[in-house]
Amino acid sequence: MKILVCISCVPDTTSKITIDPSTSQISSQGLTFIVGPYDDYALSRAIELKESNGAEVIVLHVGGSESEALIRKCLALGADSAVRVDGNPTTSTQIANAIVSYVNQNPMDLILMGKESIDYNSGIVHGLVAGALGYTHFNPVMHLDVAGDGLKLEVEMDGGKMDVNCPLPAVLGCQEPIAEWKIPSMRGIMTARTKEIVVLPLETASQIQIVKADIAETARKNKMIKAEDAEQLIDLLRTETNVL
Amino acid sequence: MKKVAIIAQTKEGQLSDTSIQLISFLSSFSPESILLVAMGEVKFASIPASKSVDVITLSEGLWTDSSAINPLVNAVEGYAVFGIKSIQVDNLLSLLAASSSQEMISGIQQMSFSGGKFSISKSIFSGKASLSLTSETVGYFSLNRNFDFSGNAEYGEQSVGSMSTLTTAAGGKASILELKPITGSIPLPDATLVVGAGRGFKDPGNWTIVEDLAKALGAATACSKPVSDLNWRPHHEHVGQTGVKISPNLYIACGISGAIQHLAGVNGSRIIVVINNDPEAAFFKHADYGIVGDVNDILPRLTKKLQEHLN
Ligand SMILES: Cc1cc2nc3c(=O)[nH]c(=O)nc-3n(C[C@H](O)[C@H](O)[C@H](O)COP(=O)(O)OP(=O)(O)OC[C@H]3O[C@@H](n4cnc5c(N)ncnc54)[C@H](O)[C@@H]3O)c2cc1C
Ligand SMILES: Nc1ncnc2c1ncn2[C@@H]1O[C@H](COP(=O)(O)O)[C@@H](O)[C@H]1O
Repeated sequence: MKILVCISCVPDTTSKITIDPSTSQISSQGLTFIVGPYDDYALSRAIELKESNGAEVIVLHVGGSESEALIRKCLALGADSAVRVDGNPTTSTQIANAIVSYVNQNPMDLILMGKESIDYNSGIVHGLVAGALGYTHFNPVMHLDVAGDGLKLEVEMDGGKMDVNCPLPAVLGCQEPIAEWKIPSMRGIMTARTKEIVVLPLETASQIQIVKADIAETARKNKMIKAEDAEQLIDLLRTETNVL
Repeated sequence: MKKVAIIAQTKEGQLSDTSIQLISFLSSFSPESILLVAMGEVKFASIPASKSVDVITLSEGLWTDSSAINPLVNAVEGYAVFGIKSIQVDNLLSLLAASSSQEMISGIQQMSFSGGKFSISKSIFSGKASLSLTSETVGYFSLNRNFDFSGNAEYGEQSVGSMSTLTTAAGGKASILELKPITGSIPLPDATLVVGAGRGFKDPGNWTIVEDLAKALGAATACSKPVSDLNWRPHHEHVGQTGVKISPNLYIACGISGAIQHLAGVNGSRIIVVINNDPEAAFFKHADYGIVGDVNDILPRLTKKLQEHLN
């Protein structure tokens, strides 16, 4: 089985997001980048499948060369090779189209992604890729097992979960508890040094213009109520806010 | 504006309040026509509109590949297609968008249309920031559940155009083995009131006081990640960066420290109440109302007060 894992490289979850006043865009100053946490789950499950079923795992990232260290980390975890589509994508369409054009040249059995990237939070790249390729799509997938020629999945849906038979080829958005996050071994780190990262040009455009980014101001009341007067909370929720 | 279509889930034949608001909101842009694509049976009377609305009802099944959605691709050709964020709606919108070679924007918080152009504010970094976007050509839009409908037109006269059922080969190539609906509790993503509990409760046996408070409020229950990792509570209750993102009117966080990854899932809440016995807990900085106290003392007292009000 040939598995493509698409990863986003995103600011660490504890990052303080700021705006660069000269560009009105999100500033990358002082940010530490990580592989998207959901994408990490997807990669971990792919590596488990490689170990149990003998799959070939390829990691793909659409982005700049600053992400190579994180791509190397994926190789150290056990991915066989990697592809970086070089550019600065600004929309989901651009990312999806870059993945689609790679897969058109290199057909896959299974494409695993995170359920969403934690920077843009769009949650749609997997659906866009599945729609364009005509692959079966499920999201978010919580359990994945190989069954016959296809997969057996547990998928979250609105108001519950379902078990499904999923034929291949498929594109899946993953979330926990699909796998445990993994830590690269020393041997993994050593072998990753010689693994190949193919660099391809980003050739797709988007019609969406980004005007500017802003930091969201959520002003909270920060009102403290003494423990002995806790019951007052109910009255305040009724009188000061109309949430009750 | 050109023709608009709305993909909406239904519950017992009814549209959600936000779907109804969305129909009115889009009517205020004076589109040429409005098409409602209902993911399930929908009763005529539940559709308000200042314009006539055409309805397509989707048959049940898995809308998970292009062979399954093909009839729908044709039905919405030439429409700008909108939906309110949910798992099924976003999955269907993204499949449709790519199948019709259109661009899609999700996570939309605000939107306006003038001079043939959409101006959109999209929430990013779990609500910590936003992006302003413009486009003349985007065809697919997913609006956040707490989308800002201000500037919404008044509901006009109700009139419904035609209603037709689009039947498709349900399921495409995949098939359902078992449906496991969550019963007996309010689904978290839909809840307008939520009580969340964290590791401060120390033992799953202590959750009765959380459930009692939730019941007295008519609220859904949520938890922090360690709590679901420890199997104290089911995974689907875990909110945050890696769990469910909620945007209720009221979130009461009990015995939760307020880690940034937890905040990422709840900072879309309109009012946040924090109950924690540590006055230094980070969560207090993000609270509208804070109570420094022991959950075992405070929660039962709040429940009692609510019950007194009801009686
Ligand atoms: C990549 C990543 C993703 C993550 N995703 C998530 C996520 O999606 N959601 C999430 O929640 N976490 C997530 N986490 C974990 C997060 O960082 C915190 O560890 C977690 O939120 C802490 O949970 P907690 O507040 O329940 O527990 P603790 O941090 O242990 O806090 C317990 C709190 O209870 C209080 N307390 C104790 N006893 C009482 C009492 N009797 N009465 C009142 N208060 C009491 C304490 O003062 C303390 O503040 C993630 C972490 C990482 C690294
Ligand atoms: N730049 C990228 N390169 C490769 N894959 C990506 C990229 N951005 C997002 N993805 C994948 O698409 C998933 C959904 O992203 P999104 O639609 O942006 O929320 C992520 O979890 C990743 O698996």
